[in-house]
Amino acid sequence: MTSYLIAIATSAGFYVLLALALNLQWGMTGLVNFGVAGLYALGAYASALATERLGLPVALALPLAAAVGALAALGLAGLSARLSGDYLAIVTLGFAELVRLAAMNEDWLTRGTRGMGIATRPLPDWLGREAYALAYLGLVLLAVLLAYWALERIRRAPFGRVLRAVREDPLVPATLGRDVQGFRLRAFALGGALMAVSGSLYAHWVLSISPDHFQTPVTIVTWMAVVIGGAGNNRGLVLGAALVIAVLEGTRFLGGVLPGLDAERLSALRIVLIGVLLIAAIRLRPQGLLPEPRIRAAELSATAAPQGDHRP
Amino acid sequence: MMQLLLDALGAAAVVAPAAVGFSLLFALLGFANFAVGAYVAVGAFATWSANGLLGWPLLASAALAAVVTGLVVLACDAAVFRPLRGAPGWALLISSVALSFVLENLLRLAFRGEVRGFDLPLARPLVFGDLRVPPDLLWSVGVAAIALVAVLLGLRLLPWGRALRAAADDMALAAVRGIPVDRLRAGAAVLGGALAGLSGTLAGMNLAIEPGLGWALTVPVIAAAILGGIGSAPGAVLGALLIALAEELAARFLSPAYRPGVGFVALALALLLRPQGLLGRPVAGGRDR
Repeated sequence: MTSYLIAIATSAGFYVLLALALNLQWGMTGLVNFGVAGLYALGAYASALATERLGLPVALALPLAAAVGALAALGLAGLSARLSGDYLAIVTLGFAELVRLAAMNEDWLTRGTRGMGIATRPLPDWLGREAYALAYLGLVLLAVLLAYWALERIRRAPFGRVLRAVREDPLVPATLGRDVQGFRLRAFALGGALMAVSGSLYAHWVLSISPDHFQTPVTIVTWMAVVIGGAGNNRGLVLGAALVIAVLEGTRFLGGVLPGLDAERLSALRIVLIGVLLIAAIRLRPQGLLPEPRIRAAELSATAAPQGDHRP
Repeated sequence: MMQLLLDALGAAAVVAPAAVGFSLLFALLGFANFAVGAYVAVGAFATWSANGLLGWPLLASAALAAVVTGLVVLACDAAVFRPLRGAPGWALLISSVALSFVLENLLRLAFRGEVRGFDLPLARPLVFGDLRVPPDLLWSVGVAAIALVAVLLGLRLLPWGRALRAAADDMALAAVRGIPVDRLRAGAAVLGGALAGLSGTLAGMNLAIEPGLGWALTVPVIAAAILGGIGSAPGAVLGALLIALAEELAARFLSPAYRPGVGFVALALALLLRPQGLLGRPVAGGRDR
């Protein structure tokens, strides 16, 4: 049971990293990314290839994967440069499918659907099974903390303020002389790098990756974490991710309650539940559990007072 | 070469009705509905239920599937999208992806994931010189062409078609002129759904019928609609033809495995070269509404 909980907490960590990255791209900057699974896959395969084929240690493979993710994200955002949400959505979705197709079909590189075994592990083997799992959880938590800290810094920094301005109305920062496209590209690339880091950590944890692991539900679950937690709020999405993983894992036990269902129907039912939950969350609480914190709201309302303020 | 064009025509017949349906839904409901692929899967299973379970002839099953899918899309619109009217674009976009997963897995719950096919008589392809024409292909191209011509002519010539295009152009102005906008939206949902349902029937003839069939068609269908100029129905047909041709070329000269990725690459190129679409009006960035 303990090892089960450790495994769940570790995999929740991968999703928190993905959600933090998506929050930077979409929650803060307003760029829709339906290709989360693709960047995650890219990071996993890049890292796995670097360690297994090139013999690099994980400590080098991880930044390499991050660079690959950043480049891919840069290309995606550049492709749909001046285009709005709908186009970016379909382009990123198509990208994720293309990555999966390549992973399935480039057998010489990825071993296709049979899956690619990974022998390189980032932590020393002498730890033993239990301690290794616990230490890996610690490693993932460390990555989450680092990412969280960095993203909070960004959120409060001038860079983050410009990103939010770009989200709300790109015309305003453009008028103030900011390079809107440059900010969008940097936010998207940074998010892509973080998604790839999550993929790399995942790859060296499961030790065998196949295209099946990187299907669209990964993207959906990440979106759920951000939407339910509260877009623009890093604390909220950690809560959101925890909640979503709890629901995901909790519904595994539906099989005990509904014995008439076989594994296939059970997994279909779980996805139906997740989808309905997401639709309901968007309808009932679009701002999420913890809405985006307003920075110095008092100051803002003081300067905006002349309009629509009817205080005596 | 002729063979390649012929095969492309067959593939376009599958994508084009759904792409026109997507365009209609986009124009009238105002967002990119990513559930269009799931609607296609609903159409495929509705056809299979009539044809494989009840033993109806395929043409009658196709008609039934169009009606069923139209009603399913209407119901989904009422349950999911109408309450979100006025919500930001992302809310509709993500809800449609979630809806697509709900529908796909409801199909999986009801029919399981196993692969099925229609009950069709085996027929020898007609051979003209070195051209091989399977009768199925003639049938599906014929049905798609008749349906599409009827819809495009209806949009152009009939009063409801003009009203629909007027509403798509400027909803508020149409409402002021006394066009029953809400009824038009419902009509667009049913018509768009029926077209997606037809795509489902035709996809079921070419591909294995399984719940994931719709998701696999999502990118080509939306890519076709964007390629032709989003919101333009004739553009969507043209986009479908081009995507299908690109798919056949890629399958022939690269590798058939990458066929599903072609839509994405074509779309990426199109966005780089002509962001307003082939038949779209030039716009200053953003989408054209």
